[in-house]
Amino acid sequence: MDAIRIPAPGELDALEDDQFRHVVRAFVHAHYPAHLRNPPKRLHWAENQEWYHILAREGWLCPGWPKEHGGLGLSPAKQIILTEEYERHGVARCNDHGIVMLGPLVIQYGTAAQRQEFLPKILTGEHVWCQGYSEPNAGSDLAALRTEAVLDGDHYVVNGQKIWTTLAMDANWIFLLVRTDKHAKKQEGISFLLVDMTTPGITVRPIINLELHDEFCEVFFDNVRVPKANLVGQLNKGWDMAKALLGFERIFLGSPRQSGYALSRLKLLAERMGVADDPAFADTYARLRLDFEDLKALFGTYVDKLKRGETLGPDVSMLKVLQTELFQRITDTMLEIAGENAGLLEPMEGNRDLNLGGLYIQARPATIYGGSNEIQRNILSKNVLNLPG
Amino acid sequence: MSAATADDRAESIRMIRDSAAAVAPPGADLGRIRALRFTDPGFDRAVLVQMGEMGWLGLRLPEAQGGAALGLGEACALAEELGAALVPEPLVAAMLSAAVLAAAGAKLDDVVAGRHYLPLAWQDRADTLDIAAGRDAPRCFVPMAAGADGYLVPVREAGRLALYRATGEARIERTQDGGNLGSFVPVLGERLAADIALDALLDEAALLSAAYLLGGMERAFAMTLDYLRTRSQFGRIIGTFQALQHRAADLKMHLAMTRASVESAAAALDAGATGDARRAAVSRAKARAAEAGLLVTRQCIQLHGGIGYTDQYDVGLYLRKAMVVANQYGSATLHRRRFMATAPEGDE
Ligand SMILES: Cc1cc2nc3c(=O)[nH]c(=O)nc-3n(C[C@H](O)[C@H](O)[C@H](O)COP(=O)(O)OP(=O)(O)OC[C@H]3O[C@@H](n4cnc5c(N)ncnc54)[C@H](O)[C@@H]3O)c2cc1C
Repeated sequence: MDAIRIPAPGELDALEDDQFRHVVRAFVHAHYPAHLRNPPKRLHWAENQEWYHILAREGWLCPGWPKEHGGLGLSPAKQIILTEEYERHGVARCNDHGIVMLGPLVIQYGTAAQRQEFLPKILTGEHVWCQGYSEPNAGSDLAALRTEAVLDGDHYVVNGQKIWTTLAMDANWIFLLVRTDKHAKKQEGISFLLVDMTTPGITVRPIINLELHDEFCEVFFDNVRVPKANLVGQLNKGWDMAKALLGFERIFLGSPRQSGYALSRLKLLAERMGVADDPAFADTYARLRLDFEDLKALFGTYVDKLKRGETLGPDVSMLKVLQTELFQRITDTMLEIAGENAGLLEPMEGNRDLNLGGLYIQARPATIYGGSNEIQRNILSKNVLNLPG
Repeated sequence: MSAATADDRAESIRMIRDSAAAVAPPGADLGRIRALRFTDPGFDRAVLVQMGEMGWLGLRLPEAQGGAALGLGEACALAEELGAALVPEPLVAAMLSAAVLAAAGAKLDDVVAGRHYLPLAWQDRADTLDIAAGRDAPRCFVPMAAGADGYLVPVREAGRLALYRATGEARIERTQDGGNLGSFVPVLGERLAADIALDALLDEAALLSAAYLLGGMERAFAMTLDYLRTRSQFGRIIGTFQALQHRAADLKMHLAMTRASVESAAAALDAGATGDARRAAVSRAKARAAEAGLLVTRQCIQLHGGIGYTDQYDVGLYLRKAMVVANQYGSATLHRRRFMATAPEGDE
């Protein structure tokens, strides 16, 4: 392992995929803080900023950004390898909305001044972002959002409420979809606005989720004044921009890594419970394992398309549905074989790798966020199969 | 049970359901349940006493032993009502203790009255219905052990199962529903019986746990139907989306099967089923309820969207409860296996 030299960040994109995978392994071995491996719950900024700053220092923070903006310029295929290796090592997720969502959007649609203002501050961790799209009455029907921004001189005045905003309590900036034209068709009156969360009029109220964790929040806006210069892209074109970002999100949510992780935990649990050799369990496990292998193969065909520079169609929704439901079935099976341990609040035997109840609960929202699986099936039947209606 | 007519039985079951309102008032919020979560002992002793006063803990015992001599039909109806209200007081475990003490011919009035909680510590491993026998073997997964005033511990002696009162320093682990499970090495005290049969009593507990799950899933489903009728997206009530209508119809069928399974098992036992017939009936019901209980509560979360994934919204409490109760007194897998091993031949 230590024979591997870790090249400078700028050289990573030129490596062969296999070689790159080995480099990532060496990198996490060398740099990832041991006490942050496999946290049972998503970490807050106070806990994971250590890793954020290590990534920033090593120049590894933004894998998908072009090099000229301080990223690694990695292909989607290499980004997927990177996340797979992070997952394998038990690397905790950062507060990554700036890295994964806002950065790419500003790079694509922002002005030169906006790029200069916002990108470096993500790279140093000075700005921590959260995503303010959903509202109480605009979830699956996001285009129904009502938080409005009204121009008043050099400022937009924002009023309304966002909800389910992941890690908003840790963020000092939020990117918003806001209504800027109440009379246009609902998708056509939406704009994309960047808001400093220290501005007067913003209230953040944490919501305890089913994991008993304060992971998401409500965010209230009461006459919040936002400089006009913080509008990204054209006025009333926010919807199209936000949608363009979703393509990568879907393939990311469709990556089998989550199921791979859960499957390895299921195996461990089966051994621990003494059912690994039980024929009934073995068949259940085999079915899950084959689903995993075939999902990997299907996923691979999408990665290949990306490698060839093709854009992904709506059929990418299949990956999200298949992966999240496989993840759930694996955790369902964990509960089925665990006996009374299924009901424990803490990981079984104090072992983070046997966090069955936690995983079972964490697997639930995967079919809700990122476009619920019902919505993905609607997309498949309408936009892929062209069924009438 | 005397040869009561079907009407009498139905009336008796209805009365028991009504009486459950004393502890689980219809339409009440879950404030009491929430306040008790993750506290010690995780339930309210005064309510356990109240349950004793209601005659619930001795519901199944003969009148001569201070019981109400009611059937499993009534007991399941009660467990179902308490399951619907997520009542944390350990009804099933306390009823089991009362039945075990009665079988041992031991003094039981404190237990039947709910003043003492003496859970039966019968397990030495997960997912089993085999009675632990070792004198010093650690006992585990004792429900609500943080509130135990001592334990009842079976010990195999000369090929027979003796029953002891015992104490022990329990290691308490919290459960997803806010309750707890305890494990301890028994320090045996008084021997209460030299030869006791526990299998039939454990089967009753398994059946009651199935009924408790049934109550929970019914209530979670009702909440979900309400939500489907009121939540609107895309300018429509979401209950008008056919995908969700079909999902709800599927869940209804799971509920119908579970109810049929639990109620027919209770009826079979009340009609005197013993041995393999009893085991097969109970296993059929518990296998169904465990699987459906988890499935229905999971789907209820999904049908709610984001709000279902909050702790504040009640539907999640039902998911957490199902995680705890599904595998108590045997998982679905265990019960399916036992059903196949005990079901009468040629009944297919
Ligand atoms: C853990 C978690 C983190 C999140 N983080 C963020 C975040 O950081 N920022 C952010 O903006 N949002 C976030 N969200 C919000 C998420 O995007 C929404 O929850 C999601 O869009 C669903 O909306 P909803 O919760 O309002 O459910 P609803 O849209 O009300 O859906 C309720 C049910 O109806 C179904 N349904 C709705 N419409 C249809 C239809 N047309 N056909 C069939 N079924 C339908 C849904 O699938 C669901 O089962 C997060 C959510 C979760 C659970």
